[in-house]
Amino acid sequence: MSKHRSPLRILAWSGLLLILLISIQQLPFGQRLNLGIAPLLSVLQAPGRWWQEASLWLHESSQLQSDYQHATIRLEQQGALIQEVKSLREENQKLRALLGIQQISGYNWHAAKVQGRSPDKMSQRLILLVDRAAPDDVVVSSDGLVGLVDLAKSGSAVVRTILDAAIAVPVTMPDKKLAALVRGQGNRLMVDFVPIENAPEVGSILQTSGAGGMFPAGLSVARITNVEPIPGQVFAKVDAEPVAHWQRESWLAIASATRKAVQ
Amino acid sequence: MTAPFVLLLSLLGIMLNLGLAGLVIQPDWSAALLLASILAQRSNWVWALPGFWVHDLALHWSSLVCFPVVALIPFFLAKADARLGPGRPQRVLLMFAGLFPLLWIGWSFPQWLLTMMVCTFAWYFIARPNVKPA
Repeated sequence: MSKHRSPLRILAWSGLLLILLISIQQLPFGQRLNLGIAPLLSVLQAPGRWWQEASLWLHESSQLQSDYQHATIRLEQQGALIQEVKSLREENQKLRALLGIQQISGYNWHAAKVQGRSPDKMSQRLILLVDRAAPDDVVVSSDGLVGLVDLAKSGSAVVRTILDAAIAVPVTMPDKKLAALVRGQGNRLMVDFVPIENAPEVGSILQTSGAGGMFPAGLSVARITNVEPIPGQVFAKVDAEPVAHWQRESWLAIASATRKAVQ
Repeated sequence: MTAPFVLLLSLLGIMLNLGLAGLVIQPDWSAALLLASILAQRSNWVWALPGFWVHDLALHWSSLVCFPVVALIPFFLAKADARLGPGRPQRVLLMFAGLFPLLWIGWSFPQWLLTMMVCTFAWYFIARPNVKPA
């Protein structure tokens, strides 16, 4: 048998392999693999959790007393803040009704622990430890929009962040008549359909417009980093960065649309 | 014996990358180990390439990151070895080529550099049993 294979045959096999890889590109193999690995990640992170729990035992009682007093004071302050938020929310609803701004209600909010991240610089994908999550649930940090749940199964969910090219978020600015689209570009965001005469300034914050019903209105999405008019074109080239920093957050919030909102 | 050991370590590396990303700067353990095993012995591609496929899917949700480039390495390595004789220069060059897609996909330069270092160490240790005394 000849040891040397014909280059044509190797080329044909390589081409076939490439076609196969491209054709299975859209199947969620990676997401399923991440969901499968999630319980193992929990085992891997167990020593860290044990260390945190054990370190609590080493706290001195005086330290615990002082922590308790601080917590009590903060609880009282938060009680007052919650009251204020309630009255502001009511006022906001009335104002929105007066101005005719559509309010997307009907989202259930719950917390999710970040169990894993993709290791690229911007962590484009996340693995969350969460009981109730479904595909297309909205993931939010304390700063703003993070992304969408891609797949969820048995206590874990995998999330595509807004940096992923597969996600497009309809955005607006509260004080401007702007209807643009934020798209992920890997390490940065691109804002499409921004008319040159209506272009926001560098540093402005774009918020979800609620168009399409996928994302609740009013979530901060992106901060404008660069606005560049292109001669002869209607729309400007606008770059942005995410407002939310999920690279180091341990907890995120998930907003699941209730059936009423979906309908 | 090398194959199951490297594959297990590579799985552990994937878990470390996913579980500790954002906390510490770490290399791509899995890519470093799998590439090192190909560089140490060309015939290792039989099990290292499926490992690379799993690596790409688990970390990047795509089969088209390192896998297509690394899949060509055994072929080019065979050609280079036949032409130049088995040696390190072509392997070092192919190590750069195999790990280059990591920079393109968004890994930071320090992470990439660490991956190169881990790959070099692993290459040395995997190749050691095959080295015949002069």
